[in-house]
Amino acid sequence: MGDRQSFEKWKERTEEEIKKRPERKEKFLTSSSIEIDPVYIPDNIDKRYLDNIGFPGDFPYTRGVRRTMYRGRFWTMRQYAGFGSAKETNKRFKYLLEQGQTGLSVAFDLPTQIGYDSDDPMSLGEVGKVGVAIDSLEDMEILFNGISLDEVSTSMTINAPAAVLLAMYIVVAEKQGVPKEKIQGTIQNDILKEYIARGTYIFPPKPSMRLITDIFAYCTENTPKFNTISISGYHIREAGSTAVQELAFTLSNAIAYVDSALEAGLDIDNFAPRLAFFFNGHNQFFEEIAKFRAARRMWANIMRDKYGAKNAKSMQLRFHTQVAGSTLTAQQPDNNIVRVAIQALAAALGGTQSLHTNAKDEALALPTEDSARIALRTQQIIANETGVADTIDPLGGSYYIEFLTDELEKKAYEYIEEIEKRGGAVAAVEQQYMQKEIQRAAYETQKRQEKQEEIVVGVNKYQLDDEPQPELLRVDDSLVDDQLARLQGTRANRNEEKVKAALTQLKTAAEGTENLMPFIIEAVKQYTTIGEICHTLREVFGEY
Amino acid sequence: MEKIRVLIAKPGLDGHDRGALVISQALRDAGMEVIYTGLRQSPKQIVKAAIQEDVDAIGLSSLSGAHNVLFPQVLKLLREEQAEDIIVFGGGVIPLEDAQNLEKQGIKKIFTPGTSTKTISAYIEQAILEARGQGDPLLAGPKGIDHVGIAVYSIEEALPFYLNHLHLEVEKIVEVPSQKVKVAFLPLGNFKFELLEPLTNGSPIARFLEKKGEGIHHIALSVSSLQDRLNQLKREGVQLIDETPKEGAGGYPIAFLHPKNAKGVLLELCETIDEAEKGDE
Repeated sequence: MGDRQSFEKWKERTEEEIKKRPERKEKFLTSSSIEIDPVYIPDNIDKRYLDNIGFPGDFPYTRGVRRTMYRGRFWTMRQYAGFGSAKETNKRFKYLLEQGQTGLSVAFDLPTQIGYDSDDPMSLGEVGKVGVAIDSLEDMEILFNGISLDEVSTSMTINAPAAVLLAMYIVVAEKQGVPKEKIQGTIQNDILKEYIARGTYIFPPKPSMRLITDIFAYCTENTPKFNTISISGYHIREAGSTAVQELAFTLSNAIAYVDSALEAGLDIDNFAPRLAFFFNGHNQFFEEIAKFRAARRMWANIMRDKYGAKNAKSMQLRFHTQVAGSTLTAQQPDNNIVRVAIQALAAALGGTQSLHTNAKDEALALPTEDSARIALRTQQIIANETGVADTIDPLGGSYYIEFLTDELEKKAYEYIEEIEKRGGAVAAVEQQYMQKEIQRAAYETQKRQEKQEEIVVGVNKYQLDDEPQPELLRVDDSLVDDQLARLQGTRANRNEEKVKAALTQLKTAAEGTENLMPFIIEAVKQYTTIGEICHTLREVFGEY
Repeated sequence: MEKIRVLIAKPGLDGHDRGALVISQALRDAGMEVIYTGLRQSPKQIVKAAIQEDVDAIGLSSLSGAHNVLFPQVLKLLREEQAEDIIVFGGGVIPLEDAQNLEKQGIKKIFTPGTSTKTISAYIEQAILEARGQGDPLLAGPKGIDHVGIAVYSIEEALPFYLNHLHLEVEKIVEVPSQKVKVAFLPLGNFKFELLEPLTNGSPIARFLEKKGEGIHHIALSVSSLQDRLNQLKREGVQLIDETPKEGAGGYPIAFLHPKNAKGVLLELCETIDEAEKGDE
């Protein structure tokens, strides 16, 4: 079908879809009343075009995973937030929802992310610092107080103890009268990149992979609208990788998760549609756009050719983008607003499904309410005022963009092959292969910046003599005492017998091969703390 | 000379180790031996490792906001182990106010984002050599203010205020052809004002007047060992205008530091040979 017929067919199917779900506007016009088509295509549609680029919503999804993309609706504006206590974060969530944010994204503090209670000696100094402290179901109830879990989608940046937080979310929803089939959101649940780049691992790789496949299996049956994993290149890039490394290592990790799920006996077309991705929106504008396009094409091909997936949804790489925190500068922080806007624009042109824009002061501290609002406004301006959302993949067909897309794909496949040779991503992580590659790239960047071969405005050029000190958000330390008091209260008021029984059963299950999710949910219901649950698992699985 | 040994440590639960790894590599490239602890070290583990490895310094990195609790813990444990000769420095996402507080508590230096690795390694090397009693000791601060240079369009027009109202006296007026400037010296105790009038367009003082108008042009500090001091400043990453001393108006060695260092103030260092024969430019 190497001619315009294929495009006519695409148009017909898209029309049908628009009948069911209308676009944002009946007609999209430029300021000069030029009508904007959904997508622009070459005069000559040949096989090469259809194989490599295609139409939006069609294999290989280079131009986007949806037929109407942002003409249907904008990307989800999802700002990552959380600090101090559940009560305070609940207030920030409500503020962000009032400001027009369309999804929640929870930041947890480090003790929660590594499975320690707030009163654990390891938690010293860290409680409530980089996110909200969650010790038990009680904190989670406070966190979502007054927010209907059938109306919002919630993304949770949680990895090693993802099963515990997901269990808490399910129980909170049920207590609100929302059945688990209806909850929507994402857990990050990507442990491989924790070993590679982010550091919040608990258990060794093998049992960690088991926890992940347990979640896949449980969610396929019980929470069909919940994304079971967000396979993340974001942190790999933040740790200093190149765009190619980000792309390659993320897809290598994805391959490892798919392999692990298949080994556990799951069916590819059952779990693969719930795999989500998370990329970084970095500085190099065109390279970033090409990266997102290459990622979609590569994943579609890998799923079809390597795994024989049949379900189109298994082949569609859906992703969240956060703009690059590591490009924010402590110097002249207002400049960061500009950086964020350009990075976010690349994400929009690259077809992201959701987007977090950083606040200008995040190189110094957590964002204040003002800076968090400007960050959200930045993406609202891109969506509503620039017209970039009015046609799909507007840069598709640009000689440069298509060249970069091909090049990134080629170089990423070289890495993926190297990792396959080393026995796959789990083995490569254990060999420190990716870690070393990233570290080398990070050091090269630092050296280039110090030699001024790479300019960072305001840092190694165009510095200000008199750097003003901005207002920063301070997490009130009295929150820690409140958190500790509530934790004590929880422990005092629960049924100790039932807690013990739940933990014993969890331990037995962990020693065997049963799916751990139901046991974790039962423990959570009894107000067992995250530290107690993770400690029980540590006893069985060991620590990394 | 014994190699400098540094322990780079990640206290607390923070997993962001890009900075720690980059610094480790940079210090190694600067010829030091570096031991990196890996993630999630308690202050106790860090101090234990530092003593076992017999390091000269510990570098702490934290991006999670736990620095105010964890960094002082490390200092406290070092004191308890009588190992306070180990220098502690730090870096990460640390607001200025916290950095100052930590330095007051005994952290030798907090390096904030954007500091070049060269500055950091030079600083550490200097501090450690000093602590070992090797190498050149860190030079003591300037002895005082030698003079303040004031840029004026015309000395003749500027003088009456100083003479008739402040009741100062003109010591001498000299022309310095190399700097294309005419200088009036007005002593005041051990200090003096210098009125600086440009001799030609395009001279440094003329350019200053064009840009900023009349006013304070520079502050000159009296120092000893000027060349050594310039070397030290350079090692510390301070931007110099003159890397070697030049002759000032009074025949004494002087050198200018870039105004960027002192937040827009042009500083001159002058090596006043002895108190009796004070003078320069």
